This record gives sequence, C-alpha cells and structure tokens, in this order.
Amino acid sequence: MTSPASSTKSSELARIAAEAAGTSSASVQFTLIHGPMNGHDGPLPLTVESADPDKEDPDAWPTDFCHFSVAGLSVSTSTWPSAISTFSGRVQIGPPEHTGRRDTYAYSGHAVPNPGFIHQSTRKVEVLITLGNQHWSPTYREALMQALVIEKLTGLAAERDAPVLHLHTPVAPFPQTHVSERGDGSNERLRDAIGPCLRFAIGVDPTMSDARLDFETELAALAEEYGIGLKLDDQRLNRARGEWFTIRGFDRERYRQARGKLFPEASVVIPRRAMIASVVGPSRAGTTAAAVAALRARGIGVLAASISSMRKTTFINLVLPVAAESSGKFPQWSGGWLEALPRLVDCAGHRPSLPDESGEGLIADWKVALSPAMRCSYPQSSQQTGATATGRVPYPIWLWWQLPYRTVGTPALLTEVQAALQPHTRRCEVAYAQSRLCRGDVVRGRAKLIVMLSQEHRDHAAVQRLLTDAAEAAQERIRERLPALGHVDAGRVRLRLSPRERWLMYAGASA
Amino acid sequence: MTVNLRRTPTVAERSADGPLDHLRTLIQALPVPTAPLTFPSREAALGLALMDLSFRLDHLPRLSEHLTLMDRGHMSRSISVDVDLAFISGRLRDTLMVPGEAAPGGGASLWVPVSRYSRRDLAPVVIRDSSGDVVPRLSHRDANRVTAAAFVMLLSMLINAHREVAAPTSPIHQLRHTHQRSRWLIEAAITELITVGSPVGQRLHTPLDHAVLPAPGARDGGRTGDSRSMRDLALSGLDVLFPAAGGDHLMVPFARLLQLATRQYMLVAQLGLDRPRRFLTWEAPLLPAQHRPAPLQTLAKNVLPLNREFVVEYETEIPRSVKAYHLTLEVRQEISVRRFLMSSNVDEEFVEVLAQDLESVARRAQRLGRHHKLLELEMQGIASRLAELGRRRLVDLASYEAYLARLPIPVGPESAPPPRRLTVDEVIAALSAGDCSLDVLSAFCAHYAADGLQHLARSGLAGPALLNIANGLRAAQVGRDVTTDNDPREHGAHAHWRRPSVDLSPQSTEPVRAVAYMALADEAPALIESITRMVSGLTLMVLGIGTLLSGGIAWLYSSEVSEGFAPEQADAVVAVLLLVPGLLLARLALPSTRSVLGQLHKFQRTLAAASVVVTTALAIAVGTVRSDVEMARLFQLALAVLIVILFCCLCEFYARRVHRSSSVPRSARVPRWLRDARRATRRTVEPDDFFDARDEV
Repeated sequence: MTSPASSTKSSELARIAAEAAGTSSASVQFTLIHGPMNGHDGPLPLTVESADPDKEDPDAWPTDFCHFSVAGLSVSTSTWPSAISTFSGRVQIGPPEHTGRRDTYAYSGHAVPNPGFIHQSTRKVEVLITLGNQHWSPTYREALMQALVIEKLTGLAAERDAPVLHLHTPVAPFPQTHVSERGDGSNERLRDAIGPCLRFAIGVDPTMSDARLDFETELAALAEEYGIGLKLDDQRLNRARGEWFTIRGFDRERYRQARGKLFPEASVVIPRRAMIASVVGPSRAGTTAAAVAALRARGIGVLAASISSMRKTTFINLVLPVAAESSGKFPQWSGGWLEALPRLVDCAGHRPSLPDESGEGLIADWKVALSPAMRCSYPQSSQQTGATATGRVPYPIWLWWQLPYRTVGTPALLTEVQAALQPHTRRCEVAYAQSRLCRGDVVRGRAKLIVMLSQEHRDHAAVQRLLTDAAEAAQERIRERLPALGHVDAGRVRLRLSPRERWLMYAGASA
Repeated sequence: MTVNLRRTPTVAERSADGPLDHLRTLIQALPVPTAPLTFPSREAALGLALMDLSFRLDHLPRLSEHLTLMDRGHMSRSISVDVDLAFISGRLRDTLMVPGEAAPGGGASLWVPVSRYSRRDLAPVVIRDSSGDVVPRLSHRDANRVTAAAFVMLLSMLINAHREVAAPTSPIHQLRHTHQRSRWLIEAAITELITVGSPVGQRLHTPLDHAVLPAPGARDGGRTGDSRSMRDLALSGLDVLFPAAGGDHLMVPFARLLQLATRQYMLVAQLGLDRPRRFLTWEAPLLPAQHRPAPLQTLAKNVLPLNREFVVEYETEIPRSVKAYHLTLEVRQEISVRRFLMSSNVDEEFVEVLAQDLESVARRAQRLGRHHKLLELEMQGIASRLAELGRRRLVDLASYEAYLARLPIPVGPESAPPPRRLTVDEVIAALSAGDCSLDVLSAFCAHYAADGLQHLARSGLAGPALLNIANGLRAAQVGRDVTTDNDPREHGAHAHWRRPSVDLSPQSTEPVRAVAYMALADEAPALIESITRMVSGLTLMVLGIGTLLSGGIAWLYSSEVSEGFAPEQADAVVAVLLLVPGLLLARLALPSTRSVLGQLHKFQRTLAAASVVVTTALAIAVGTVRSDVEMARLFQLALAVLIVILFCCLCEFYARRVHRSSSVPRSARVPRWLRDARRATRRTVEPDDFFDARDEV
C-alpha cells in the first residue's frame, strides 16, 4: 500500500514533466527588466515587447509574469517555455540591454526547470510579519534587520525542505480587527498601501503536520525573541485569502532593543540610492535563505524583496540599499553569483567579505542581474501613523483576474486597470502583480494597486465608500473594454477589483 | 562459493518491497548496452502528455458504468464517458496532435487517454462514439513505446536539473557526461520494465535466479569499465537521484509513476478536434468474481430457512476530477434489487490529514501552549473541519433516511432512537471520550456555527483528548459518504454520485474509491410462495387420503389404528401420491443452479424436492406395506415431515420480513457511522460475490 498522497505527487510530477517536455519547451526563457518606477519616458516598464505583438507567435505571450515596484524602483519578469535545450550549466543570462528608457535595462536568459520541485499538492501556510508600526522608510539598520528576518524565516522553511512559494516586503499591514467588527469586513479598518511588513508563504505536505506545527512554533518563538508581530493565515475552512489570525502583536521596544543589539554600528539614515539584484536559478528549497545569508554576512541589508517561482525557476528580486559612503556610479551588470558578490560588497557592503559559506553551494551556479544604482523615494504619508491631516493617503486596491490565454496580456490589462481608475484617482501605481498560466488555458493573476484618491476626505466611512465606488466603477469599465481589446468572449472574463483582499474570490475558483 | 553466496544475498533474494526494486533488479540482470537507446523527442513528449492526462482524466466530466450480472461469478461492464477536449490545454494539445493523417471528419485530431486498466485484462476493447462508429485506438505496443520514451525523458530531465550535475565526482555528473553507458543501462531497464510489465506483488524472475555469480572483486578485482562497475554506478546514481530519506522526496512519486506504467495500460482514443465534446462507450473486459471460500457460512445459508439474499459488492475507482459518476445495475426481471447503496471515500484523505493534525497537536500541546494564540488557531482550524464533516455526513444520513422511506416496503425510523440534543459541554465531553458519532458531530457543527466554540485552547479539548478524537474519526469512517439508489424499477438500480461542490482536499488527484453494495432477493411473487402453496396442498392431500382411509380424523392423534387403513386397491392412492406432486412440481419454474436466481432458490428448491420425496416414499409404502399399523404410522410420519417442511416455509417468510425491515446492510464496506446512526449492532458478513474493478489489482 502506498502512502495516500503518492498518487497526487506522482501525477503532479507527470504534469510538470509533460509541460516541460512539450514540443517546444525544453527550458525556460526569461526576461527581467530593471528600471525606475516613474521615469520621464512613461509610467511602467513592464515588458520590452514590440508595439504590436504578433499573435501567431506563441512566444509573444509569456506564460508567467511578475511585476514588483517599491521605493521608486521596479522589476518585472516574464517567462516563456523555450526550445533551447543545450547550454552550459543550469541557467544562463545575457548581458544587459538598454531599452531606450532611462536607467532601464532588460536581461534575457534560459534556465533548466527543476521537475522535482513539487509543491502544487502542498498546503500553503502564509505568514504576515510586522516589523514596525510607522510608515515605511527603512534605514540601513532596518534593512539589515529585515535581511536577518528573511534569512531566519526562509531558513526555518529550508530546514523542513518546504519550498518558499512567495515572499514580499513591504506589503500592506493588516490592522487588528475588533470583535464587534468581524463578519463581512464592511467595518474593517482601511489598510495602508504599504507598511514595514513582510508576507511569505511556504508549501508543506499536508500529511506532515508535525513539520508544519514545528515551523509555526519556531516562528512564534522567533517573533517573541525579536519582538516582531506575527499573523498566520486563517486556516479555518471557508476562510478566504487575506484573513489573518494574530499570533503576536508587534513589540516596539523589544524590536528596537534587538535591532540595536544586533546591528549597533549600522547607520540609521535612510538610503538615498538603491539597486535591484535579481538572482535566478532552478527552484529548490533553501535557496533564498542561502542567498540572503551570503549578502548579510557581507553586511548587505535588504530594503525590499520579491521572491517567487515561475515555471520551476526561482527569481529572487532584492532591492539593496547602496552604501551612503559609496559614491560610484555602479553600472548595470549580469553574471554568475560568485562574481556578483564582490560587486555587491563594493556598492552596498559594510563589512569585508567573509570566506565562502557552506550554504552558497546551493546557488553557486545561479545567475545574477544587477541594475544600476538608482535614486529611491518613500511614501510620505500613512493612514496608520496619523499623517493623514491632508487625507492624501495611498490606499491599496486588490485585483484578481482570470482570462483566456493569448487574449489580453498582463501588462496590457494592468495599463487598462490604471486607465479605468484614472477618473477617481490622482495617482495609481501597480505595486505588485503576478499572473500565471493555469490548467484549462486560462491566465490567472493577482495584483495590488496603490491609489491616491482625487477627493480628499479624512472621514473613515467616506473614504471607504469612495474606494468601493471607484473599484466597482473601474471593474465595470474594464469588463466592458476587455472584449474589444483582446477579442475575448465576455463570458470567459473573470475580474474583481476591491479595496479588501478577502472579497476577491469567485465561487469555485482557487487563486 | 556457497559461503560467499550466503554472506552477500543475491539480487533475487532481496525483497521486492522497495519502490524501485524491480528497476534495480533489471539493472542487475540486463546486458549493458553499448549504444544509446534514442527515442524521438516527439514521442517522449507524447508519452508524458498521455501519462499526465491519463492520471488526472480531468477532461472527462462524466463517467457512467452499467453493470450486468451475467451469472453467479461474472459481471459485464459497459463504460461510457463524456469527453470535453476544451479541458486539454493548448500546449498539451500541440503535443497530442496525431501527425500526418487527418481524422475521418477531415480536421485535425488528438490522441486522448480515456481510461486506464489492468494489464491482466487482455480482452479487446472497442470504443464507439454516440453514432456507433468505432473510434481508432492507439495500440498497446505504441503506447508502451511512448511511455518508455517518456520515462527516459523524465529521467534525463531530473538528471539535468540535479544540483550535483556540475560536480565532476558525483555519480549524477558521471551518468550525464562521462559514464553514459550506466545511464543507458538505466534507460534500457526502464524500457524493458515497461514493455514486459511487472506482476503485482511478485518479484521479477530474471536469469540471475539461475546463476551463481562470483562475489564482487573475487575475479577481476573490480576493474573499471566492466559490467559490474557500470551496474554499481547506475544503482548509486539512482540512490542519489531518488534519496530514500530527506532530500526532495522524489522517489515515491517517480516509483509510483513507474509502477502504474508497468501494471496498467492506457486506453487512448483518436478524437477529432472538430467535435470537442464527445460521448464514448465501450465494453470493459468481463469481470470475474473474487470468490471467498467460507464453507460453513455457505452451508448455513443453504440448509437453514434464512430466505437468503444474494449480496454482491463492487469496488471501483473514479478519477477525482470526474464531476458526476453514474452506476447502474441490471439483473434478470425475476430478481429484485432489495438494497442498493454506494459509498465513496471522497473525504477520507481530508479526514486522515485532520486526524494527523489532531495527533500532532496532541503531542505538542505543551509546546504550543506557550504560544496560546497558535494553539487557538490550530484548535479553531480543527473545529471548523470537524464541523464541516458533521454537516456533510448529516446530509448523507438524511438522504439515506429518505431512501429507506421510499422503498417499496418502507423501513420507518422506529428502530432508530430520536436524536439527542447536546449542550456545548456535553459535546466536548463526548468528543473527548472519542465518541465521533453523527449525533455528536452534528451538535458540534451547530455549536460551531453559533459561535459556541470560541476559546477552544482553554477547553478540555486541547490535549490528549485530541488523540481520542483522531481514533474516533478513523473508527467511524467519517470520510466516506453514502449515495443511494434512485431507480424506480425493482430489477434495476442506479446511483448518481456527484463530486462535492467544495472539494475538501482540492489539490489531491488521488482517485476516489467507490464501493457499491447490492442485495438481490426474490420478492413477491416469489418462488417461496408457490412452494408454500404446493407443500400445503401436499399436506392436505396426505391428510385427506389418511382421513378417507381411516374413516375419520382420529388417526391423527389416537394411537389406535382402525381396520383397513391399508387400502385394498393401492394403485389409485399410489397414482394420486405420485401424480399430484409431479404436476405441482412441473408448474414451478426452477432456475439453473449456476445463476443468481438458482443461488437464491437453492434452499427453497430443496424444500420442494423434499416434499415430493415424502409423497413418493409414501406412495412406495402404500404400494408395498400391507399392515394397517405400519401404514398408519407411515402416514403419520409423512404428515409430520410435511408439516416440518411447511414450518420451514413459514420461517422463510419470517426471515424475508426481517431482511426487508433491516435498516442498514450488514457489510463491512458500509461506513461505520451509518451503522452506528441506525444502531446496527449485528456483526457484518462477507458478500456472496465481490467484484473488484480497481485497476491495479
């Protein structure tokens, strides 16, 4: 008798292999674009595609897409299956190519997907970590602390061979709900668009509940040690994504002490320049921990991070603060991980390089793309910290969609969403977007937009109503526009736009 | 030499329990290839796509099985499926495209797997579509070739993506670059295993079983490049690629894929893309019953007046993605389907995961207690799942009660006690004691929905009580649902199973196992009624003749015998005693003993025969005996025997009544919670016939 989940895993292995072995998909081709978020040449550097993508060419439609922008920097990643099967090593990356936009560079490469990275059948455990209750403007010291936290968290997952499904920071903080405000969420307090929070998810085999419980216990112990806030996704049945169960609140004093003790010498100024480092390689448990540990050992902190796996290839996108005392230009670069480390130390490190560490063997043959050092900017106001005297607060709006493949590309859809929200907002940015090709030839995606309403209100209920109205009006407008845009049957379009994350779900659809 | 052999067990002596042992055995036994075995990459891609689709079968929204009980011991199955090609994604579609020729309709066509079945069944399968046209199939030979190509491809993908592929000293690097013959050997072994197939539960029989090989290093000192070093490298490469413990846990999935590929065939049909929705039907190979010899039980059923039922159980597997499954049964018109019930294990994986969670939390209650909110989250997660289980099974129970009420002879709720109403404390106390009966789970569900179960971490539930709940859940078989018959005919049955709208184990592709329980019986107008009439007639006849001969009814109770009991003219009496039973017996349609009806009627036929034997014996006696006393005693004896037979007939009627009013089948395959809910305490019995259509046995 085989174990109960073995059929599930074996059919997942068969699915991965079948997808990887398709007639033209021996490897994964990827394109990374690094650039400033709001350059002078256009709002959003999402792809380098030509003006009119050839609809007959299958490679014009990426199967997976990810975009992340923070602190004025943005990175977007697209992947395609590729027929190229012979290249040295497991991943290769080309030289940076200038896209014509200021400071914006594209990097293309190929990677061998890892069919052994089986996580579809796992149970997702999602964690929301709070590293502060002020608005998001991390110092060098906080960047180091954040790197430490990422390293510890992913290390806990790696000890159990649990794959990191995604990791993002900064994300929207989740306000504490009171008993009287439970229920449909209509009374949920408005959330900040971004805060000093970290959200990550790992996959655990559902039959190994011991491993899951140990992970959660150690997580709670870690939170206690550093004073960080810890919320876990609500594991009750019929609870949607975006509902959190508070395990520990944020302990400001303890966190401050721990930070001061761990990094007494680190500077407490806010970095003015930052760069993006994208580390790419075949997915495997423990790689994020290895990468961040190597950086931290060299005194490099992490300002922001977006880690995700696409087609069994992991993309570790890190925004690294450029050291205040380094005044070099630090041009764009791409190459192997081991060659990248000295460069990173030059521009962002504080300590001399340490001898090689054991964990780095895991990603020794991974490739890195580095953006040029860019100026970074931070949001000036936050609802949570009371900096709302003007009412000009950035609010988050969540987007979920499902569209037939090869109809409307994710960048086009996001542009459309921004246009639809335009009448209600003074500013609208895509903070995060991810889409992937799912079973049944549909592309599913999620995104978080940061909007600043054009009307300024200080009243909680009024803002809430405005946000809801704006989201609903925009949703209708996009649904009307999409059929014309991509020749897609209106009956097959699923799209939800909501100021509350947990209202996004359609019946019977899994995210 | 013998000593050596004893010290190092040969390959053949190793147990075949390990997941990849058949492959290892073949690596030891096959000649080492000197050239690569190259498959076209297109075939490999096709093989992988077919394998993927045939495991999930998510392009089959509906599956129907029509069972016909041919005779005792054989069941024929006709399977029909709805195929929707729209569920096959674009990239897989490109791979599955049939090259070159066009489909009969003129357009392009795809190879689409529609089923998997055991390699044991070699009867030809003819697939027809809704218009009755035969649909072309991929031959087994081709299917085996593309499957082998798929595994060779999968192996090379796993090697290419392995983290040690760049380390020159590692076996993976050697397999990939420097010692390719070892890799070819693994590939040849996989190909051989898939082409030949491997039997279930046996070890492979290889030439190594017949040879005594020298011990390692005994002859050549372990030269590099000889076949032994290559086999060793191949085996150690497998060990690195599929570590038994830790690592990527890849061994079990890979071994399971290989196991299924070697034990089953795929049924692959060529379907045109011009009609994406199709209805296909085929006759599955005839299913033999798995006889379970229980001589005492069979004897008891045949010699006691139990009004036996013929119980058939049928077990099959439904792909988890199938949304609707219909099981219909048809028997001869003379037979009635008294009960028809289907139970599937659709929630069993969910219950197993829940039970494991319960056990883990129980073991860690102390550690988790330090993080109070973490324990509370776990407890709430557990409570929500328990409540959902209670709700689901209650729905099942309600549909079962409705089924009992709409039977031709309804079974009322009189045997079941009225439902208990429990308070929160009572529920928690009952659960802590391991009582996971439906009453308790339903009450738990109600209290959970009414917010009565907050702060569970502080209740008595958190701790060792969770272990009792886990055991209780497993014992009550809460993960199994119940689907009932909805066919109005008496000689047919139909169960319609639907996948729950919210799948509790959404990521699982484990097939759902469904068991159908069918009790076949002889209902009115039944043979036993005719036989009872016949036996009563014969009794009356013997009584009448005796009374006429003695001139009164005193012979029945008096020991004195009247003169002239022995008739002068015996011929007339003999003729009556012989002719009447013969005529009556001829009116009864007695079935053949091989059929199911024959089994049902076995005892009743004995009763009929016995009554005729009695009258015939009496006729012989009348013709030969001349003594009045003896004659009277023989008449009395015959009458007594006939009354006993008549009594047996009445017992049959009583037994039939008991069977009819039985609320829950006495079968081990009916979920425990259902038997508990109706307080069925009698022990379960084995079925008369068990048909197993799960494909891997």
